[in-house]
Amino acid sequence: MRITILNGEPDPGSSFHRYVHELAVGLADPGHRVLTLDLGGLDLKGCSGCFGCWVKTPGRCVKGDDSGRVCAAVMEADLLVAASRVTMGFTSSRLKRAADQMIPLVHPYLEWEGGEVHHRPRYSNYPGFALVLGPGSGADAEDLEISAGLWMRLARNLKFRPVLTAVADRSAVEVALAILAAA
Amino acid sequence: MKMLSRLAEGWVSAGGAAPEPLHLAHPADFDRAVAAFARAEVVLLGMPLYTDAMPGLVMAFIEALAPRVAVAAAGGRNPVLAFLVQSGFPEALHSRPLERFLEKLARRLGSPYAGTIVRGGGEALRMRPDASSQRLWAQLRTLGGQLARDRRFGAPELKAIAGIERFSPVTGALLSVAFRLPLAQFPWNRQLKQNGAWDRRFAAPYRCNGSTPGEPVPDPRR
Repeated sequence: MRITILNGEPDPGSSFHRYVHELAVGLADPGHRVLTLDLGGLDLKGCSGCFGCWVKTPGRCVKGDDSGRVCAAVMEADLLVAASRVTMGFTSSRLKRAADQMIPLVHPYLEWEGGEVHHRPRYSNYPGFALVLGPGSGADAEDLEISAGLWMRLARNLKFRPVLTAVADRSAVEVALAILAAA
Repeated sequence: MKMLSRLAEGWVSAGGAAPEPLHLAHPADFDRAVAAFARAEVVLLGMPLYTDAMPGLVMAFIEALAPRVAVAAAGGRNPVLAFLVQSGFPEALHSRPLERFLEKLARRLGSPYAGTIVRGGGEALRMRPDASSQRLWAQLRTLGGQLARDRRFGAPELKAIAGIERFSPVTGALLSVAFRLPLAQFPWNRQLKQNGAWDRRFAAPYRCNGSTPGEPVPDPRR
């Protein structure tokens, strides 16, 4: 299985950054191919809502930054893992910025799906999606629930198949095994 | 910005002082907004719904407010917080999970929570002439006035401006047909043609797991 990890931790010296890389080792151990993107080191200009990715360069962001690398890594994967500490009640702005620039993965055209209006898929296949939340300082159970809820909405709209939400309150290897069991 | 301007009009006409508009997308304004938060009496944070949550830029602003949590915990004051979430989807339900986050954010900061204006159909609003949205502008002016007078939005007005919460299955069945009609796609198709990108509208440039690289989803109208 091909697995892409989006590491939303901006501080490369933090314990959560190390945790994410231990998670990558745990996921790779059973013979899977894992690519970890440390978003803190990428040039992500952020989405400005110009819709150029829908009406100028369909399927690609017009900004020419590293968001194309992120989108390519997402679409190549069987399983996408987004990992971040929860700070001020949500995952990092870095991870959200990367997610914002994934809208070229779907169409501007709408469809009726599951009782709601959503965007139409641009691709025939999308990865499964797992979320790993680091309980940052001040994060409580409600914050984790709200964060998971927002990300599962995002996954639904971007056509990712929800797999698992895990809290990094146990070892990275244990979380990796739980993700693989659910995938 | 159109919606925020109408809110500001209502605020001023109800006796509120002229608000200071700050655009987080402008780096200088971002820093000014963090500083202004500490001295403001009321802060209205307006945002579009991006991939079902706040834009990354707004989350960066919220992260920058982290020191204000300690200020509140030490007995300090934070401003009244009001929010506006505009979504491109027609139903309000898409914005409700974000609304929950925003309400919790106000609690986290020890700020009185004035409420969250949720409004769908944002893209249609952008493409329509202003004159066709008079009812919405009036609703926003009313809400702006409530914020100036009462420091909170009225629940009936929030419900009214949100419009459709969720479509019925019958309406959904009609929509599923309507979305396949060229008329429903006209605004996007017009822009695609203007940009010379019409032929590439179904492009799928990234290698897709388990399928041919770049394999697009067939157009159901073909």
